[in-house]
Amino acid sequence: MASANSAEAPAEAPGAAGSAAGPQYLPSSVQGAVKILVTGPFGVGKTTLVGSLSEITPLRTEETMTAASSGVDDLTGRGDKTTTTVALDFGRITLNSRLALYLFGTPGQQRFWPLWDDLSRGALGAIAMVDLRRPDESFDVLGRLEEQRIPFAVAVNTFPDTPSYPEEELRSALDLLPDVPILFCDARDRRQSYDLLIDFVDHLHRNSILELQG
Amino acid sequence: MSGPVRPYVITGGRSRSTRTELAVESLVSALPGPPQLPEHDLLNREHRRILGLCHSLLSIAEVAAHLGLPLGVVKVLVGDLWDLGAVQVLPPVPQAERLPATLLEEVLVGLRQLR
Repeated sequence: MASANSAEAPAEAPGAAGSAAGPQYLPSSVQGAVKILVTGPFGVGKTTLVGSLSEITPLRTEETMTAASSGVDDLTGRGDKTTTTVALDFGRITLNSRLALYLFGTPGQQRFWPLWDDLSRGALGAIAMVDLRRPDESFDVLGRLEEQRIPFAVAVNTFPDTPSYPEEELRSALDLLPDVPILFCDARDRRQSYDLLIDFVDHLHRNSILELQG
Repeated sequence: MSGPVRPYVITGGRSRSTRTELAVESLVSALPGPPQLPEHDLLNREHRRILGLCHSLLSIAEVAAHLGLPLGVVKVLVGDLWDLGAVQVLPPVPQAERLPATLLEEVLVGLRQLR
């Protein structure tokens, strides 16, 4: 899209969701769906990436999460339990007549981890977005992905003023294992976003073949 | 969201579906023909909204987004409709039953064609 690079769109467009256009149904031939998580700190560009890849206008849904009250800043509950509402933006790609792929933007902060067990179950993997202007905000989520043994790649969202580092320096700064790919992408650009997703799935595919070969 | 009614009132206080295989990417569509009575009496307004929306295939997440209901609530209600035989559910692609390499290859081929 010609306008993709010029738009000064906010990194996380809060009004992107909605069902004004009405539901866009999948072809009745579709037999099932797979999912990939897109995670990272607030404002890193998760919704932008999902929007660049999705065939439908990204949708927003909410999940309520019951948690201990400490560290939670969105209080809507009563009594000793606290209910937090977490917004999830997601998109869809119909891959062929039988299979659909969903992309779920998943907040990476530690306080949202109770949601992860459910969301990550069955996921092909996760794309962990990093803003190199504030890489420390990604440490939490990178550690969590390693702990949960979710296959993942790091996607550096290349904002115009993103500093550039040699890959080795980046890998060391983010404390990444050698087998975690570091990919780069302007999440506003559809082509770059597709290349990122293809590189990630290619990585997953190659790993699965290696596992088969033992 | 769902107006003045607190979400779990809609589900009769249940926060989890008995159908553990339901995931956000599970696909739902209403089965043709109205649900058989007397089961029909068991359906509340939100059940009926789901049936009305899902005349073709949508994921649990899309149903939740379009109806403005939390994901967990939609899972419970779709589980009810599934138990009643009012909807067809396509659970997530069971990766254990297919070679992951084959599935990933299918995803890859699809993405390369769309690129």
